[in-house]
Amino acid sequence: MQSSEMHSSPEPWLRQQARSVQSRLLTAVLWGLAGGLLIILQARLLATVCQRVVIDGQGLATVQLLLAWVALLVLLRGLASYLGEHAAVRAAAEVRQQVRSRLYRRILQLKPTGQVGEVGPLTEVVTAGVEGLEAYLARFLPQMALAGLLPLAMLLVVLPSEWRSSLVLLFSAPFIPLLMILIGKGSETLNRRQWERLSRMAGHLLDLVQGLPDLKIFGRAKREAELVALVSDQYRKGTMAVLRVAFLSAFTLEFFATVGTAVVAVLIGFRLLAGSLTLLDGLFVLLLAPEFYLPLRNLGLAYHSRMNGLAAAERIIPLVEQPLTELDQAGSEQPSNQTPEIRCESATFRYGGQRGGVQDISLTIPAGGLTALVGASGSGKSTLARLLLGLAQPESGTISVDGVDLSALDQAAWRKQLAWVAQQPFFIAASIRENLLLGVDDADQSALRNALEQAALWPVIARMPAGLETVLGDRGAGLSGGELRRLALARVLLRDARLVVLDEPTAGLDAENERLVLDALERLAKGRTVVMISHREAAIARSCRVVELADGRLQRLVSPQQYLGVTP
Amino acid sequence: MRELLRILRPARQQWRWMLAGIGLSVAVIAANTALMAVSGWFIASMAVAGVAKVSFNFFFPSAAIRLLAILRTVGRYAERLVTHEAAFRILADLRSWLFRRLIPLAPAGLERYASGDLSGRLRADIDSLESLYLRIIAPICSGVASILLAGLFISWFSATAALVLLALLLVAGLVLPLWMLRLAKQPGQQSVDLTAALRNQVSQGLQGAEELLLLGASEHQAAEVERLSAELINRQVSLGRLAGLSGAGVVSLAGLALVLVAVAVIPEVSQQQVSGPQLVMLLLFTAAVFEGVGPLSHALQLLPATIQSVERIRELADAPPALPEPEIFIQPEGYRIELQGVSCSYSGGPAVLEQFSLTLAEGERVAVVGASGSGKSTLVELLLRFRNYQGSITIGGVELSDCATDELNRLLVALPQAPHLFNATIRDNILLGRTLSDQQLSELVEDCGLDAWIATLPLGLDTPVGETGNAVSGGEARRIALARTLVTDAPVVLLDEPTEGLDGATEQVVVQRLHKRLAGRSVLVVTHRPTVLALAQRVVRIG
Repeated sequence: MQSSEMHSSPEPWLRQQARSVQSRLLTAVLWGLAGGLLIILQARLLATVCQRVVIDGQGLATVQLLLAWVALLVLLRGLASYLGEHAAVRAAAEVRQQVRSRLYRRILQLKPTGQVGEVGPLTEVVTAGVEGLEAYLARFLPQMALAGLLPLAMLLVVLPSEWRSSLVLLFSAPFIPLLMILIGKGSETLNRRQWERLSRMAGHLLDLVQGLPDLKIFGRAKREAELVALVSDQYRKGTMAVLRVAFLSAFTLEFFATVGTAVVAVLIGFRLLAGSLTLLDGLFVLLLAPEFYLPLRNLGLAYHSRMNGLAAAERIIPLVEQPLTELDQAGSEQPSNQTPEIRCESATFRYGGQRGGVQDISLTIPAGGLTALVGASGSGKSTLARLLLGLAQPESGTISVDGVDLSALDQAAWRKQLAWVAQQPFFIAASIRENLLLGVDDADQSALRNALEQAALWPVIARMPAGLETVLGDRGAGLSGGELRRLALARVLLRDARLVVLDEPTAGLDAENERLVLDALERLAKGRTVVMISHREAAIARSCRVVELADGRLQRLVSPQQYLGVTP
Repeated sequence: MRELLRILRPARQQWRWMLAGIGLSVAVIAANTALMAVSGWFIASMAVAGVAKVSFNFFFPSAAIRLLAILRTVGRYAERLVTHEAAFRILADLRSWLFRRLIPLAPAGLERYASGDLSGRLRADIDSLESLYLRIIAPICSGVASILLAGLFISWFSATAALVLLALLLVAGLVLPLWMLRLAKQPGQQSVDLTAALRNQVSQGLQGAEELLLLGASEHQAAEVERLSAELINRQVSLGRLAGLSGAGVVSLAGLALVLVAVAVIPEVSQQQVSGPQLVMLLLFTAAVFEGVGPLSHALQLLPATIQSVERIRELADAPPALPEPEIFIQPEGYRIELQGVSCSYSGGPAVLEQFSLTLAEGERVAVVGASGSGKSTLVELLLRFRNYQGSITIGGVELSDCATDELNRLLVALPQAPHLFNATIRDNILLGRTLSDQQLSELVEDCGLDAWIATLPLGLDTPVGETGNAVSGGEARRIALARTLVTDAPVVLLDEPTEGLDGATEQVVVQRLHKRLAGRSVLVVTHRPTVLALAQRVVRIG
């Protein structure tokens, strides 16, 4: 967070992304340019046809060939516009894929450190946010080049036919970008606010729907429905405020283009009336006048794309450029293959002083066996578990594994030896088998069955019609709370980890199932270091030692007998 | 198309805005075409007069040009504002309509959607309906109107030119769009499904980022996201190619129309049926009128994806509720609860509750214990009318299926197994919009064992709990939810593991306080913790 000023600004960052698809973008611009030149030719031919028919009184026969040329030109124009569009779309597609891959990998690495915010908004950035880059790359960038080149070309060909009109065009043109920039500045801030409103609204509706059961229980659902309408209405008003300004730039452009064309038309009209200009030249200039403004108008429309792209980039850059924590970067030392002994020395982590956390913890968890971590809610158990797992790095003090500082270890190798069962374990919406295989490369049927049996879950799964292929719904709907814990435990059992940390592994289990799980844990703890957060007496009784925390500090390190003997 | 119009029904009161938007866009197309036509005629007339050295009354045409120019510019601004206003109004109506439709479905009817999928439907699919009016219905209506108007106008001058122009306008406005519709069907539908799948995968992965990291499965998950993204972008490129194709088609057809109109009209000029300036006028008119037809192919090309989104929303909204609201509801008398031979299973799976019977007399307190998976939590959900059941459950003598949810919720509150914390403050999460005096609230907070923890928070009760309560610990979240349950004094209280995640000392305090607070009310408490059993007068074993 401190480094927020160090991030690239969005525009240069976007240009840098565009560099990788430079040739495609160049192709798009060249085809656009070709299209413009074809328009000039077409206008000249058409004006010639009109001159011959209207002024010289010639018939169809004399202009047939010219018309055939026009027909050919329009087909070529169609081709040029298709190829230009295609190149731009391909360029934007490549960049989107690159950015999304990079962004998602980075967020996935950063999320566990708790530095990047909440799932809903992050999902938005990875999906809709990255899509927002398309308009900038496929529309704005090529249009900008064309807006610089095409009007110039038009001006040059108009000059010999009607220099007065060229002057009108020349002097009306600079006003357009000037005004657009003025209006664009204003709507840029509005646009940014709009994005925030959008993601807030997205989160709001989902939050409400996920909490619908609770709202129903308390008879609040209908009231919230009105709130949904209200929030959507606020969103509409906010968006319209942005659009009123954004459309104003299009309006200004259109106004100048129309006035410019009208002035040119009047100029030409009077020169024609005076007989000092041919219809050929006059019509040629009149046909090109709107085409002179068209690239500028297109740029005006694409300016909106630019702002969308900038808003998206502003969301993406801090995430892509956020450095990984030192813990993730540093360390090349290979962890030994033996059962680890963990030593904390004055380890402190207080969420940057914002929340409780833990303070000055010094303790040794010997290799092998089951260690219970107990304490009141909020006493720092979860924080200590996160420190042990390397998900957070002590703000002061050290944590070492077999005498090697945790931050000196090669994290990838170290993590291979870790396993964790969270309080609300994570499952993908896939089959039970796929969920079990998430932590291991491969396991055969008997290994799966063995793990499930150890977790006292095999009978439950065997009873299901689809067995291991049963698909879990969101948050594991389909299995009870206790069954899901055991499924997570089975997943850990499959994984040959050396250090296993469990958060309340037997919460929600009845005595019989608790016994089964603890049996499995005891088997697991042979040759592995197992740390278990628990309140439950039955679980604590099975442990080798009890670490008690209070208010983020180490209260005592005792045997379970001692602990249970004193606590009623 | 009928499906599309059906989804708009909840927004039908916005018809004035929709119609105004379409009217304005027809007016803008008309003004623009007229402007080009008049300018061409004006220039050519001036040229003819210049060559013939006669005078020409240029006041009327130049005034018309000015008027049309203003109409076009102002009209386009107004059109953009009005069509967007209409689109957002429609969107707001659809959003709240959908939420209302989901109320009777939760939770049983929504279980089959992953939360990322659900959010996608509520967000991306609903948002894509923004283009339903803006980029589909409005352009189709105004495009068709401008084809008809253009035919009418040009037939005034030359019947053959009218036929030629109409033919090409129909190709550009009907044949080309329908062809695009066919080509866009597959990639359009797939892009919607892939967007949903991608969103799902991303949000799932981020929710489980910590475990994925420690399971060593992060790369596996990232590769999956990468694959979905590549497939999605692939479809988007196909759609982009089609957009380019239809754009090119319109450019070429407009040019061809120009040539063919010239071929049709030039002989008529030679025969002096049409004047020279009129020829120029008709040519410029022809070029301009295609601008109104161009959006038609784009509109039809968007159609498949939009229909897919509509389908996804309809699927969500049309799901039958687990237990429909009764047509005629009967007022319960009292709040005695009786279950007789109740069975329940989740979507055809094995029975989670079988032939269960229980009576909860008014003011009685019963604890339900049993193995995990024995249906304790299901029992609570059944009493909340969340799921369908076999057998009989009555409250105050009324079968639950005949009791309106609103009525039931007046009699009964519950702490569910997995309560949801809203992304709001602790205070808002406890009150859920209801009111308590400061005194009552602080007593409540104390009774739920929250006071000591809240005292350590700089913002106290106004501390935000974060997305799905992830800024507070599991035990704290449970106690906040417990407090929420105790705000009202509904006569029946259902508690599903009220002290889960609490340490022994806190648990004892909370149970003591609950004992006092729940005096005189019916209580059904689901638990496996011995301390909590003290709340009950009798214990029922389930399973």
